[in-house]
Parts: sequence; C-alpha cells; structure tokens
Amino acid sequence: MTQTAAVELVDIWKRFPGVVANAGAHLRIDRGTVHAVLGENGAGKSTLMNVLSGVYRPDEGEVRLDGVLHRFHTPADALTAGIGMVHQEFRLVPSFTVAENVVLGAAERILRRQDVEARVDELARRFGLATEPDRPVWQLSMGERQRVEILKALWRDARILILDEPTAVLTPNEANELGGVLRHMADDGRSVIFISHKLHEVTGFCDVATVLRGGETVAASLPVAGTDAATLAGLMVGSTSLAGERPPARAPGEVRLAVSGLCALGDRGLPAVHDINLEVRSGEIVGIAGVAGNGQRELVQVLAGLRSATDGTVDLGGKDVTTDPPRRRFGSGLCYIPEDRLGVGLAPRLSVVENAVLRSYAQHRRGPFLLEASMTAHCQDLVDRFGVRTGPLGDPVAGLSGGNLQRLLVGRELGSGPGVVVAAQPTRGLDVQGVKAIQDLLVAERDTGTAVLLISEDLDELLTLSDRLLVMHQGRILAEFDPRNSERSIIGEAMAGHLPEEGAA
Amino acid sequence: MRRPVLVRRDRPVRGGQPLAFAVGLVVALLVGAVLLMAAGHEPMSVYQRMFEKSLGDSNAWSLTLNRAVPLGLAGLAVAVAGSMGLWNIGAEGQILAGAMGAAWVARIGGTWPGPMLLTGMLVGAIVGGALLALVPAVARARIGVNEIITTLMLNEIALRLLQWLIHGPWKDPASFNFPLTPMLPDQAHLPMLFGRAHYGVLIAGAVILVFGVAASRTAWGYELRIAGSSADTARYAGISLKRKILTVLLLSGGVAGLAGGVELSGTADRLTEGISNGFGYAGIIVAALALLRPSGVAVVALLFGAVQVGGQSIQIIGVPASVSTILQAFILFGAIGAGVFVRYSVRLIQMGVDASGEGEEAT
Repeated sequence: MTQTAAVELVDIWKRFPGVVANAGAHLRIDRGTVHAVLGENGAGKSTLMNVLSGVYRPDEGEVRLDGVLHRFHTPADALTAGIGMVHQEFRLVPSFTVAENVVLGAAERILRRQDVEARVDELARRFGLATEPDRPVWQLSMGERQRVEILKALWRDARILILDEPTAVLTPNEANELGGVLRHMADDGRSVIFISHKLHEVTGFCDVATVLRGGETVAASLPVAGTDAATLAGLMVGSTSLAGERPPARAPGEVRLAVSGLCALGDRGLPAVHDINLEVRSGEIVGIAGVAGNGQRELVQVLAGLRSATDGTVDLGGKDVTTDPPRRRFGSGLCYIPEDRLGVGLAPRLSVVENAVLRSYAQHRRGPFLLEASMTAHCQDLVDRFGVRTGPLGDPVAGLSGGNLQRLLVGRELGSGPGVVVAAQPTRGLDVQGVKAIQDLLVAERDTGTAVLLISEDLDELLTLSDRLLVMHQGRILAEFDPRNSERSIIGEAMAGHLPEEGAA
Repeated sequence: MRRPVLVRRDRPVRGGQPLAFAVGLVVALLVGAVLLMAAGHEPMSVYQRMFEKSLGDSNAWSLTLNRAVPLGLAGLAVAVAGSMGLWNIGAEGQILAGAMGAAWVARIGGTWPGPMLLTGMLVGAIVGGALLALVPAVARARIGVNEIITTLMLNEIALRLLQWLIHGPWKDPASFNFPLTPMLPDQAHLPMLFGRAHYGVLIAGAVILVFGVAASRTAWGYELRIAGSSADTARYAGISLKRKILTVLLLSGGVAGLAGGVELSGTADRLTEGISNGFGYAGIIVAALALLRPSGVAVVALLFGAVQVGGQSIQIIGVPASVSTILQAFILFGAIGAGVFVRYSVRLIQMGVDASGEGEEAT
C-alpha cells in the first residue's frame, strides 16, 4: 500500500430478506479527489453508502478511514468520524434561516446571530457556495437548499462528503455550479463521493469512478480522464455476453398496443416524455432500455393511466384509451406490473387475500358484501398456480419475501388473461431464482399471444427476453435494435445519448 | 458497555393490543393511587366506590352506558376517517353542530308526534355534523388541504355559533337572561331502556355494528382499507380517492353529529354550551386506543364511560373529578407506551462490537 486511503471499504456484504444488496463490494477513495460511485438502481450503491455513513451495519467487511478500522453503530458515530452525507431528500427546517439550519445541533451553547451568520458566510465563500445566511430556507430554490446541506456537512468539518444523486433535483446550470463546488472541496484536501447515473456529469466533475453491479465492485477507481461515457455505461449494464438462453421467438400477430406522438410531464412539471411512437404486437416482447431517469417511469405511468398525457394517443387493441382511468384500461385488457411492488402494486398492510383480489374484487361480491370464501379460493388458486410461498393467507402481504411478492403481483396481473402486459423493472432486486421465475412467466405469457412491453435497466435481461429493443434517452426513443445481432457497446452508447450510425429510430 | 435498542418485530405480538390496554389500565390505577395517597385519600376505597358507582349495579350500568354513547359515536367518527388515514379532529365541533341541528328541528317541530320529531331530530343532527365536515372534506379532496387543521379550527367556529344562538335568537325568553334555550318538548326525549339508560344506547350500538360490518365485509370497506393502506395502490386499482375522502369525512362528521343529537334528546333537557362535554376530543383517544376498529371502539368507549361516571361519583367524598381525567390520560399513556412493545422488542447491544446475531430479548 503506497498511501493510506481516506476511505477504504473492504469486502462489504449486506443481506436483506430475499436480496443480497452488497456482495463483497470494495471502495477505495483517496484524499482530495472527487470519486464517482456508479451503478444501476439496485446495484448496491445506496446500501454501500449507508454502510459508510453508519445507517446500516455490514454483515461482513471492514470500514477503514485513514487506515483505521471503524465500526459505526449510528449515523452520529460516522459523523463524528468525519463522514457527512447529503441525502436526496433534504433534512432542513423550512422556517429557520440558512445559518440556523447550518449550526442546528452542532453549535456552542451561546450564540450571537451576527457571529454565526458571519462565520457561515465565511465558510460558504471559502467553498464558493453562494448563499445568504439570514434568509429562511423555505424561500430558497432546490439548488440553494442543497448548498445549505453541503454547508451543514462542512460546518461539522466532514472530511468525506457523500452526495447521493445530488443533481437529481438541480437544473443543468445548478448542476454545473455544483461541479465547481465539489472541485473546491477536493482542492481543500477533502474527499467527495458522488453517486450518480448521469454519465456526462461523472465525466465532467469526477476524477475517478468505481462501478457497482449486482452488489459487487466491477471496476474500482477507474481514472475518468482515460475513460469515455460509453465504457462506463457498458460497465454499469454488464459485459457478460448473453447471460441466458434466448427463448425461441414466435411470429408476432396484430398490433395490440399503439402509442403515437405521446408527451407527458414529470413530477416537477417539466417535460419528461417527448413524442414517443411505438407498437407492440401480439406474441412479441418489446424491450425499453435506458439509464434510469430518462422518462421510462413516466412513459409507463402514462400507459397505465396514472399520469396524464399532454399530447398524443394510446391505443389498446384498436381502441383509443388515452383518457381512460386505470380501471377501464384494465378492463380493456391492459395489465401493469409497476416498478414499486409494495406501495403501488400491493398494499403492504393488507392481507395476501386482500391483495390478490385487488383487480377482481368486484367479481366476488353479492350486493354490497364481499364473499370471503370466493376471494380466498381465488387467492389460493393464484398462489398455487404461480408458486407463491406464503404463510397464512390472512397475514399482511408485507411479510412475504421480495420474490414471492413479485410472484403474487405478476400472478394477479397475468391471471386475468390480459391482451397487453406493461412490466416495469419486474425483476429488480430479486435473487437469481426469483428473476428466472418472473422472466419465464413473461415469456410464457408472450407465447400465449400476449403483447409485452418490458422496461428494464438490466441490459442482459432485455437482450435475452426482447424480440425488439428500443433505447430511451432524455424522454425520447433514440434507437431501435435487433437484440439478436446488436453489439452491447453500441447499445451502451445509445443509452449514453450517442446516436449509432446504422441504428434506425 | 451495553445499551438497549428497539428492534422491529417481524410481526406484531398476537393479541398485543388488548394486553397493552390492560397494561395501560394498571399503570393508570397505580399512578392514580400514588396521587390519591398524596392528596390524603385511601386509594382502595376510592377505587371501590368508583367501581360500584359505574359498574356495580344496573343503575350504575345505565349511567355508564349513557356516557359510552357519545364517546362511542365520537370514537367511531374518528375511527372511520382514520381507517383511510384521515384525522378528523373536529368531532367536538361536529357534535355541537349535530346538537344544533337537532335543536333546530325540535324548535320547528315542537308539535309533531314523538316518533316523527325524534327521527327528524336525529336526521337533523347527522346533517348538522356532516355540514360542518363538508368544508374540510371538499378542501381535502379537491386541493389537498390538511384536514387536521381545518377540522380543528371549525371546532371553534361551531362553539361560537352555538354561543351566539343561545345568547341571541334561541334564548329562552323566560330564562331570566341566562344563556339557555327553552326546554325541549316532552316528546323530543328518547324513550328509556332501563334505569336511566335511554334508547341512544341501542342507536349507538346499531351504528357501530353497521360500520363494523361495512368496514370488514363490504366492497366499500375493502376500498377504504386499500386507500388507507396506500394511496398509490388505490389509484393503481382504479379507486377514486377524491370520492372516498369526501364520503368518509362526511360520514365521519355525520356520525359525530348524531352523537350530539342523541346527547341532546337523551340526557339533556335543552341546548346549552356544555352539551358536548369534550366528547369529541375524548373520541380521538377512544379511536386511537381501539386501533381504529369499530369493535374496539365499543369496548374502549364503555371503559371510558365507566371511568368518567366513576370519577364523578367520588366528588361526593371530596376527591376532585379531575382524578378521572388524569386516569384517562394515564390509560392512554400506558397503553400507547406498552403498544410500542407489541411491534418492537428490546435488545441490548454490545458497544464497540458488531452486534449482528447477538443481543438478548428483554421484552
């Protein structure tokens, strides 16, 4: 070892029921660098950072700061050791001023307002964090609030700053300013950990990058200067060639789902989906690839009827359903496997039976009353057919493991005999067996003639299952590929926003 | 060195809530005993008197049941809203509004025959309570205004309205300027059941039963549970949240209003400022202790009725009635405190050493 690293995470393992979040992850961060930690959703970035910041305790592995072994029991322990974390959701008191928020919980006993404000101002200037210490936080923009969060960490003299997807809430200009601030902090001898999956920011702001995939470190401390975005994208999505056997394709039939000129806004009221045109035919799986946050989520919600389209149409089996509410779309044969299993697809506190009949309870009623026996029978049938392992059916569904939750959800949706399936991240976070089971169900469904639209961040999955593959970037469909004979590096470039020469959109 | 840490259980302890409730009761009685001794009373004899006067004979039971009626209806009102994740803190105001609605019907229908007048009064009470809940319901459903604030503020408005009515237009000309309405006509009183218990006991029981069945056995109740568990899941399943919020808050207001109407025609002879006696606020505690379940509401309301009746009975022997209020508060504290252990267990964590796999159960 030439120089002791500021942070060293060695062979970190962290398991949750049904999921291994970190499987021997490594991370080594030198003083005075901006270090990107990259990975898809579910790659284990957040878990690893939570281990470093004392939120989780690792099942195995070591956390070393400047070569010294640490065992954090609480986030406060990590803070004392000099680790500051800026979370995605800000933890500020809106009615307090900037200075009050910065010193909250870390101030001497007696304070003079002017002193504190002057000192906060001085700290802010040192790092190029333009702010007004006497303004209440509720008046500030998201970018300014983030600067307050960074100031909080600096006030506590954090030597290691973790920023969890810091640019997600920022405008492009604010994001560029943030890049300058990070450089200031690195030049001051601090280490900055920058979690992101926006590749141009990583190549723009960071010195080195560590890439996680499936809970493991697949590339450690890669110098960013000699690496291009496409390589990083390739590392994030994996480079193993064809992980699974391609199921034999069928000849696709008539168009079941047709989307034309579709536009929609994101959560913050900014355009997130631009002019999407796509068709899914009976008996084919159309995959949509893309780095997270490029409009896939919003597109799926518009298709499901949970987000309204600002322009364009959605056709389901030749019927215009653009303005139909979710229940009517389901009645027209659209089933939807949402990205969030618990909380959207399933109600966590309700029982297995209650969740199993979410789509069909209207069929189990006599007058105003629900027929308990008929609902239980329906649930038992789903559980048997789709191999869901459960305790008593009256227990809350939240007690099931991730894989069984997803079997129940997918079973409920497919069990209705739909014409079109929209599946968003159906295998994310599942263990190997669970992934295989869900993929088999989707393929079997396609083979019965159902049209399947599969949105995934796992390129292997898309290459294995899709009959056609579309790549989304910044809300648009950038390119279409034939998954049977496309190079993943070219797909990776398309995901990073570089239009391939021969790919037809 | 070791330190205790709360660890979430995989599933709550079965039958934990009644147990927690019993713990709360014991804690309350013990703390109460200390307070009584400090005030120079003999705790056992005070408790004995409280028990005899609230549950000792049929007359005592009739008083307790009468008390449980407004507590149960107010608790149900809070629980119905709560099962959807809404907090109706305005049951107190809605009780007043219900009493005003019933009193208004009694004013215009003073000559109607009994059954017709009573039905009219109870309908007036439900409408009154629902009307007061209408503003928070619409504001919440349409533009997402926090119903806790709006329902709470309307309590004050309902109280001022009632004060204006009994000081002004509805004042009894023969009351020597006291703020009282005229006495209700004789046929405006609910018939008696036994002892001093009136028909309100049956009405409250029936309403709680109907809601209990509706909540657990009907498609309406199922949709309510979905919406209460996760708003996103409800949207996904195509359940209209706006309509659910509106109906649930109106029903909640209506049930609380009914409590005011029953209280007026059951135990009062006229509309006064003190018609509610804080039942609306007590209802929040009842609903919380009942875990928002209608069956639980009935049990807790009965127990709180007994504590309140018992508390009044000991004033005669010189113990302040506030003892019963203190007891109620400690039951709540104790039960909620014990309730934590239904969902969490305590583990002792060894400091400085990784704690995975070790640590003792010490519940």
